[in-house]
Amino acid sequence: MRIGYKEVNPTKILCLGVNYTDHIEETKLEVPKEPLIFPKMLNCLITDGQPIIYPKLLYNNPKYNRIDYEVELAFLIKERCKNVEAKNAFNYIMGYTVFNDITARKMQTKDITSNKPWFRSKSFDTFGPIGPRIVTDSEIGDPHNLKIELRVNGEIRQSSNTKYLLFKIPEILEYITRFFTMEIGDIVATGTPSGIGPVNPGDIIEATIEKIGTLTNRVILEGGTE
Amino acid sequence: MKIGKTKINPTKIICLGRNYLDHIKETNAPIPSEPVFFAKTLNTLVTDNKPIIYPKILHENQEYNRVDHEVELAIVIFQTCKNISAELVNDYIRGYTIFLDLTARIMQKNDRNIHLPWYRSKNFDTFGPIGPRIVPCNQIKDPHNLSIELKVNSEIRQSSNTKHMLFKIPEIVEYLSKYITLVPGDIIATGTPSGIGPILPGDIIEASIENIGIIRHEVILEGD
Repeated sequence: MRIGYKEVNPTKILCLGVNYTDHIEETKLEVPKEPLIFPKMLNCLITDGQPIIYPKLLYNNPKYNRIDYEVELAFLIKERCKNVEAKNAFNYIMGYTVFNDITARKMQTKDITSNKPWFRSKSFDTFGPIGPRIVTDSEIGDPHNLKIELRVNGEIRQSSNTKYLLFKIPEILEYITRFFTMEIGDIVATGTPSGIGPVNPGDIIEATIEKIGTLTNRVILEGGTE
Repeated sequence: MKIGKTKINPTKIICLGRNYLDHIKETNAPIPSEPVFFAKTLNTLVTDNKPIIYPKILHENQEYNRVDHEVELAIVIFQTCKNISAELVNDYIRGYTIFLDLTARIMQKNDRNIHLPWYRSKNFDTFGPIGPRIVPCNQIKDPHNLSIELKVNSEIRQSSNTKHMLFKIPEIVEYLSKYITLVPGDIIATGTPSGIGPILPGDIIEASIENIGIIRHEVILEGD
């Protein structure tokens, strides 16, 4: 796939949950002692300008008809790695981009409370917009001091700064590579700040991170026209 | 990657939990009203009798030091599918193979009990042995009537039949393809029967399914 001008071939997408101090306060969740990791599948990925498809099986079911945006700073892996030490982490990062971790919220809540996997609610087709481009290390400066924002139909819904990340990028990469070999192009999304909320068919979502740019996607109903 | 003589390029591995009635009873889990599925990532895949690596971070931590075997019948997807109805599912299956869904059991239980994702415990490197070959659909008359077995050091630990699957393959693919677009090479593991149990470095694991064959893997400690 292409993100901006860059061709990447990810083999997996790993996401952090509960990783912004402001989001933890908002949800009254416990502060995690170690990073909380879940996967999204590659069928989620779409790029800037492509529509997010609101699945009919959610839309038509009052038990499940809520999908939420979650803007996140993502980084991509530069070379195959395992057991990376935090101090070397930046050697393994190709660059940074914006990721929107779309989530079927009611389905997720129900699955979590019944001890089921955090999976189906996160991995519908198009539930992982990414882009608009990959920005290198040298261009970004400090990835832990970037404004991060999300708008729905022009209205600000999330507005924070990556300095509120609980686990920072070096710790995240050290942690995940103790478990999993990461491959070139693999995507790691670092969690979302406070202000998460629902979207509906017809909405325009703009997710912005300072120095990277804006990722814009419209929500359409499955089977509907763009 | 190659499974036997067939080259495939999977983009995802989707596994069913709680899909054998005997296994549901053994774990005291409720009978699911719809398929329960979770993901494994491609770093887990291992073929050709290469070793299963027992992670040091589990071995050195009493709290987490248990890895379990789970033998499963897996299907490999033949063509892109989304919203497929059950009666057409066979057209979208390339064939059948054996999959071992290795699981860091204590870690999984702890994570699940505090409502964390079922991910890390299932996705250490080499936690998804697969093979020895992909058997095309026309060579397996009824995938729901195959004996399925797992031995550790030649001792039988799991022994069942795919007829005890709760959700059958057509229902599974119909269900999954409502959520997710499946693409050629994608792997779906259909759940494990009863008899799950721990493995240790030095053990030889043999998993077999009637009409498919046998996979054999030694467990070695990471770094050895």
